[in-house]
Amino acid sequence: MIVRGIRHLMRAWRGGELGLLGFSLALAVAIVTGIAGFSDRLSRNMEQQSHHFLAADRVLKTARTVPDEWIAEAKKRDLRTAVVASFRSMVYAGDAMQLASIKAVTDGYPLIGELGVSDVLFGMPQARTTGPQPGEMWLDSRLYALLNLQIGDTAAVGDKEFTAGRALISEPDQGGMNDMLAPRGMINYADLAATDVVQPGSLVTYRYLFAGTEQQLESYEVWLRPRLEDGQRWQGVRDGQPAMATTIKRAEGYLLLAASLGVALAGAAIALAARRYGERNTDNVAIMKALGASRKQVLIHYGTQLGLLCIGAIVVGGMGGQGLQWALFTSLKELLTVDVPGASWRPFMVGAVTAFGCTAVFAMPPVFRLSKVSPMRVLRRAGDDESAGLLVSALTGIGGIGLLMWWYSEDLLLSSAVLAAALVIGVLASVLVLYLISFARRVLINRSGSALRLALAAMYRRRFGNAFQVASFALSLMALTCLGLLRTSLLEDWQLQLPTDAPNHFLINIQPSEITPLSSFFDEHKLKDAGLFPMVRGRLTHIDQQKVSEIKDVDAESGSINRELNLSWAKDLPDDNQLLSGLWWSEIESENTDKIPVSIESELAEKLHIKLGTELEFNIGGQLLSAKVTSIRSLDWASMRPNFYFIFPPSTLDNYAGSYITSFYLPADQKALLGELLRQFPTFTLIEIDAVIQQMTLVVGQVSSAIGLVLILVVFCALLVGIANVQASLDSRLQENAILRTLGASKKLMISGLMIEFAAVGLLAGLLAAAGSNVALLGLQYWVLDMDVVFHGMVFIIAPLIGVVTMCLLAWISCRKLVNKPPLVVLRQTL
Amino acid sequence: MIRVNNLCKTVVTGGQQLDILKGISFEIKAGESVAIVGASGAGKSTLLGLLAGLDNASSGEIYLHDENISLMNEDERASLRARHVGFVFQSFQLLPGLTALENVMLPLELAGHRSPAAAAQVFLDKVGLKDRGAHYPRVLSGGEQQRVALARAFAVEPDILFADEPTGNLDEHTGQRIVDLLFELNSQSKTTLVLVTHEAGLAHRCERILVMHDGQLSEEPVSASTTL
Ligand SMILES: Nc1ncnc2c1ncn2[C@@H]1O[C@H](COP(=O)(O)OP(=O)(O)O)[C@@H](O)[C@H]1O
Ligand SMILES: [Mg+2]
Repeated sequence: MIVRGIRHLMRAWRGGELGLLGFSLALAVAIVTGIAGFSDRLSRNMEQQSHHFLAADRVLKTARTVPDEWIAEAKKRDLRTAVVASFRSMVYAGDAMQLASIKAVTDGYPLIGELGVSDVLFGMPQARTTGPQPGEMWLDSRLYALLNLQIGDTAAVGDKEFTAGRALISEPDQGGMNDMLAPRGMINYADLAATDVVQPGSLVTYRYLFAGTEQQLESYEVWLRPRLEDGQRWQGVRDGQPAMATTIKRAEGYLLLAASLGVALAGAAIALAARRYGERNTDNVAIMKALGASRKQVLIHYGTQLGLLCIGAIVVGGMGGQGLQWALFTSLKELLTVDVPGASWRPFMVGAVTAFGCTAVFAMPPVFRLSKVSPMRVLRRAGDDESAGLLVSALTGIGGIGLLMWWYSEDLLLSSAVLAAALVIGVLASVLVLYLISFARRVLINRSGSALRLALAAMYRRRFGNAFQVASFALSLMALTCLGLLRTSLLEDWQLQLPTDAPNHFLINIQPSEITPLSSFFDEHKLKDAGLFPMVRGRLTHIDQQKVSEIKDVDAESGSINRELNLSWAKDLPDDNQLLSGLWWSEIESENTDKIPVSIESELAEKLHIKLGTELEFNIGGQLLSAKVTSIRSLDWASMRPNFYFIFPPSTLDNYAGSYITSFYLPADQKALLGELLRQFPTFTLIEIDAVIQQMTLVVGQVSSAIGLVLILVVFCALLVGIANVQASLDSRLQENAILRTLGASKKLMISGLMIEFAAVGLLAGLLAAAGSNVALLGLQYWVLDMDVVFHGMVFIIAPLIGVVTMCLLAWISCRKLVNKPPLVVLRQTL
Repeated sequence: MIRVNNLCKTVVTGGQQLDILKGISFEIKAGESVAIVGASGAGKSTLLGLLAGLDNASSGEIYLHDENISLMNEDERASLRARHVGFVFQSFQLLPGLTALENVMLPLELAGHRSPAAAAQVFLDKVGLKDRGAHYPRVLSGGEQQRVALARAFAVEPDILFADEPTGNLDEHTGQRIVDLLFELNSQSKTTLVLVTHEAGLAHRCERILVMHDGQLSEEPVSASTTL
């Protein structure tokens, strides 16, 4: 049975109809196993990586030390533990002193991840898996500069003296911008008591770190939960995902979307190829039936063929998918600091299910139709009902594609949005094309050259086929343009397009008297700053008379709101800000001045549910300030210039102690200047974000190359659809052209006729795709990706261009076959 | 072997009703060779198709091998064909994707023959195409293609052979040789032969001639000289 099936498969393969079908199937499998495997491994990798950002698997955050019993309980469960105490304290070195944020860490720290230290200030980090030894203190380069300290010198915290052993460059659990504000130092936990700085009532945060297996952690959590008091927080990995994780998560979602579109396209190609396979086998089935084959035998015959083809496609496609995974990981290799987990079997299962699903949904319907072919065909070629089963196969096809997309994206909204757009486009395209063809025929038939007339006649004869051709090609193009556009808007959203000289350092705490010396320092070293902005540190305490800390919706992630914020004042709207609603100071009527007006940044406003007219209360260094929101602005964070959540009118903040902030660009080879700068202006706070920017650029660059790879695959799928489409009409074209040539049409005439026909299809498909992708993107950006809605005009030129070029290319390739075949050969075959 | 009772076939095309067969009755005994003649469009192919169970009659009964095929479903008729019926067509109807040998093997495989390749080769030899087994139909001449079709028809050793204008697509000389081959194989295997043709010469090589005219069938008396 199997042997015979294989023999039949070989025979059918020789016939050539199965090639395209098998190829499309294998491609679908390759895309799915490749991308499913990739994202599967990537997300496991991300999970591991995010443990690094905690320096542990779980963290207990508390303001007081916990009972020893709690730690003993964790040890009993074989959990590894470490403690980090963070506090602010003065660091003394000789005559100099500086407020710094100090971390005292036990020997186990960090449980996961590495510290980066260097023997040179502002040097390249070397990896360390433990913190400083007792008696040793690591300071960040900035603190060395501020204290005028050299590596190896002595520095003191409280009552305890330390050797300043190394420069601390990076910590796995580095906090956000706010933690980076103060210069940092790190000491051993064993020295904490000796410093005597931690006393009852002093502001210390303890972080108890735990690492172990999920089971151990969960059992410990069950034990611990009931014992937790107010203000003690148990944190997992998901509670503190850094920005990069979000970026990669997004890229993963994008890849899945691309994959499901790729599979949808491959599915369409499979459907077309299978339909042709069915058509080409109709006569064969009639003969087989006349010779006595039953319906069941026909079904088994073709079913085995498809089944074997399917298995072949799984094997070949699975290997291709493995290659694709490898290529994707290679393009991302610098991003993934942790070893990539090994491949699992799941992607292969997904690939196999895809192959069988595609076969069942797309290839089986034509075979079912085949089994119903009347054997009477052998005596009289019955008028083939071209539209027979078209609706059913179209519906199963669309349903199948929808299911596949849902399965891959695991997002019902997304897949139904894409599918609905596709359906609307498909129907619109078909109707439009049918109308256009009849219209063009009526208007042009009598006054056009013979090539055009030939093309028009051919298009009219094949108008239903052409409508389908345009619709499906428009859909492939649409998928392509959508992905292409999404890619650019995602990248823009990721703020990739940073100019190379975007500011990469911030200076805070600049006193008015220091402005002139600072600008001469900048001039002297030919540095460019982004301008000086006034800044007052303050805390938002009330929104509409309600305490911020009591508002439920303001969850942990917008926790920054509970810390100090940078407030500013300005006469004019900053250059790169945009007023979204409300009025700027100059337009506000003067009698409306019972409250101080304030302008708020739009994202924060949305998060805190602040609208125009909302009353806010700030605490600035102990003094209270009431204000009323009069405008909402959007910012360009990517500008790397100082930006502010809240801006007040000039002179309203005069009573509060303020300073200035600026940002500037410092090339990597001039990092040593920072030491000089801080020596000259010891009170400045320096924030280095060059490493962050570099990291971001790397992330976006690599993610975009991974996406590029997938895009190429999707282009390939779209091309398959085109080929399958042309193949579908090849037989009738062959015969038609043979007859035309017998009747005396020249080769040239026929080629131009063919070209016109194909170009028209490409042009129409391109235009429809441009319109469709704009509509689809609108929905995607608005509802799914949460990005700003942008209209893309360029695609109206690009998509039709791609359409015409590909279709003409396809026409040219098939042309040779069509036109060069001697008409006699063709006619002899079809008689 | 074949018994037909008041057979009618009506088709509706473009809203118009067309009566192709208007109540036909006749009987053919086992081993007989019968020619059905008539003008083009008279309904000969339609009748042959119905006899072979390729299509459903509008009314009337057809008994093949004493089984009423009008009561059978398509698959039962197919199975009957696989066991008892061979076919030769005007347009040869070879599968273009299969070689000559594979084409002959096809009905043997369908009938579940144990060694289809060997059996097929025997019949290819019989029709004089010993060395053409690996060739595809498109490289064979019309006469050679029809020989392959004959080999395919006789390979399953059918009880009944239907032939629909087997020489219609061939020149006179080639046609003559095909007919010779057909009758030779037929006499070897004692098959019941039903042959549709519009050539009087071919018709007269059969034992009986049925004339199709305006949807009706009448028996033409065969002259004594030919039977003697
Ligand atoms: N399914 C059908 N639809 C329409 N007309 C048909 C159909 N089948 C047969 N006919 C018509 O019936 C007539 C007889 O056909 P056929 O049996 O092929 O004639 P013959 O084989 O004697 O030349 C022809 O005029 C043909 O056009
Ligand atoms: Mg006929």
